[in-house]
This record gives sequence, structure tokens and C-alpha cells, in this order.
Amino acid sequence: MTTRRVSAFLDAIAAGRRPRWRHGEPEPDDVTVMRTAIELRAARPGDSSPNEDFVVALHRQLADEFNPPQGAEIRSLRSHRGRTLLVAAAAAVALVGGAVAVTDAANRHGVTSVAFPAPHDHVLRTGTFEAPGGRVLGQIVVYPGHPGWVFMNVNAVSSYGSVMCKLHLTNGSVVAAGTVSLHDGMGQLSKAVSVDARRLRDATLYSPSGTALGSAPLA
Amino acid sequence: MAVQKITGTRVQGPTTATRESHLRVLDDDTYADWESVYQDNIDRLYRLIYSKVGNRADAEDLTSEVFRTALRPLRLDVSKGEVRSYLLATAQTVLASHWRRTLGVSLTSIDAETARDALIEPGRSDVPSDAPQRVQQILAAMPERYRRVLELRFLEGCTVKEAAQAMRVSVSNAKVLQHRALRMAAKIGEEVDA
Repeated sequence: MTTRRVSAFLDAIAAGRRPRWRHGEPEPDDVTVMRTAIELRAARPGDSSPNEDFVVALHRQLADEFNPPQGAEIRSLRSHRGRTLLVAAAAAVALVGGAVAVTDAANRHGVTSVAFPAPHDHVLRTGTFEAPGGRVLGQIVVYPGHPGWVFMNVNAVSSYGSVMCKLHLTNGSVVAAGTVSLHDGMGQLSKAVSVDARRLRDATLYSPSGTALGSAPLA
Repeated sequence: MAVQKITGTRVQGPTTATRESHLRVLDDDTYADWESVYQDNIDRLYRLIYSKVGNRADAEDLTSEVFRTALRPLRLDVSKGEVRSYLLATAQTVLASHWRRTLGVSLTSIDAETARDALIEPGRSDVPSDAPQRVQQILAAMPERYRRVLELRFLEGCTVKEAAQAMRVSVSNAKVLQHRALRMAAKIGEEVDA
């Protein structure tokens, strides 16, 4: 009889969804059934052609990788203005997420309640996600605290519905920062994380299938 | 106009990949740039990978991975056939890696001989898979109820509940029918291949 996880796999294939599989390898009999299901689904009329949006988006991404722009590249986080904007965004996220009152760095008078201090440049860990070819994929800010906060924006990976971010620590351990849902290739994530920001080495974006898309060394 | 030549016994891959091959005709054309490689192969490569994973999300991810992996070290001073051979070798590796990562076993694979005809040989632009014809053969050899449950589920995209309603059976009965039908289809498939 079909196990629940094989049934789930077959349901996903029948519906044209990405199948999930957890906990160990399938039995040889199950492999045969699953393989046959894929063959049947792939024979469905009209479904085997690539989506035009995907073809265009992948072409654009490859162009960004293999046709690097002449002259100065736009590395927003490396500019003071870009950094300021992202830090401001991170601060806003920290405020909303913590649901607390926060001081305005430029106007500290009259503040009566500060449960969650605003992020300052010198305590933030920041980085720019870059693809292997040097194309900028987004930025990340990690705010150390209790809890710590991570904020990131991701751009121009439109062939994926989502991307996953993992934080790599200097001791070799890896912490999942979360999954960024993409709309038209763009998305943002803000999330509390329990990690010592001082021990962070870099952050990496992965496609849903686990392919590393780009990394951001954290300064 | 493309000049064609008869080449001997080996197809030299654009990088380090080599592949033994039968005597065959190679197109002497070369690709001008990576974009022409992409435009000429994206459709066929996607279809090939889709036929091995059965869903768009994985097919798109893996197709992207093939191009990202293959284009970076690609030399363009080799024939189109050699570039396609290299793309095919990359696709084989990427697909194998995908199944190893997600299932731990190789659920499907790209058969070089089968895929080569459509993906590599010059002038062939049809679908790099004989899946639809093969599936029709398999379905035609099945009992009516087994054939119907597979058609409803995998060709018409019905849920188990919808398939059960269409066949006027319970949901659990439809699941049993589907499982038995898939096993029979696998067996018939093996006989078709033999």
C-alpha cells in the first residue's frame, strides 16, 4: 500500500507542484511508482514548454553575470547613502517587529520609554549579496541584540518563487535566517534571530533546490 | 552556409569533458557568444529536464543551474555539437545531484544516447523526449479502469477526490486503483523498452 509520504509525492506530481520528501530514501517499489508518475505527468499535453517569463528572466540574470556593466558597478550597500537607507530600513523593521518605542537618534529629547534601542551603525553587521560573477543580489543587515534581528532585501532572482538565507558562523556552524518570498524577483525578510552577531562570518542565499546563489561577507 | 564535416571517433567537450561517440555528422558552425548558446538550447534543455522531474519549479531551477554551471567555463571556439554535448553532460550531472540531494536515490536520469539525438545532432529541434508516445503505448496496454485513473490524475490534473468522483468510487478506492495502475504502468514500460 502506498505510504503517506509516497501519496504526498504523487499528489504533488499530479498537481504539477514541486514534490517534497523527508526522512530517508524511498523503497525500490516506491521509486518505480514515483518514476512512472513523473513520466506520466511529463507527457501531459502543453506543459513541457518553458514559461516565457522564465526564459526572459533567466536570460537577464545570465546577462548580468556574463555581461558585467562597463565602468563603475552599482553596489548600493557600499555607498554611504545605500548603507544609510538599508540601516534605516533595518531600524524600522526592528521597531515594528519589537513593537516598542524607539528613540530617534537625532532627537532624543522627550523620550520616555526605550525598550529596544535603535540600531546604530557601529553595532550592525552588514553585507552585500553577490552572485559568483559579481552581480549584486541584495543586502543584509544583522542587528545584534536580545533577540537579534536580521533584515535583508533580495532582487533579481525572479526564476525562483523564494530563496532561503543561511548565516555562517566563524566556528563553522550554520543558522537558517529564513525564507524570502519573491514577487517579480524582489523580496524582503525581517526576522528575529538567536545568534551572536559578532560570530557571524557571512550569509548565503540558496534556491529552493539548494543551489547557492550568492554570498554576503558580513562587515 | 554551414559546412558540415564527418568527424571520427570522439567528441571533444568544450572544457575537460570528453565523450566517446559513434561516427556522425557534426555541424561546423560555432556559436558567436553565450547568448546564442542560450537562445539555441534553452527550450530543448528545459523540455529535457522537465521530462525528468515532472514539475515546472524544479525544471526551472535545474535548467538555470545547468546554464550557470556550463556557461562560465565554456569555450566558444568549438562546434555547436560539442557545446550541446557539454550542456547535456552538465544536465546529467545536475539532475543526478538534484535527486541525490532531495531523495538520496536517482529517481530519473538522462540517457545520453536517447537525449543526444534531439539535443546534439544538428537540425533536430523536436522535443527531446519520446515520453508522450511511450506513455500512450503504456496506457493503451492497460485495463480500462487503471488507464482511466492515470489519465484523470496525471494527464488531466484531477485531485484524488475528483478522480474518485469521476470514476464513482471512494477516495481510498481511487488511491488503491492509482497505486496498482502505476505499478502496472511501470511493468508495461519495462516491456515496452525491452
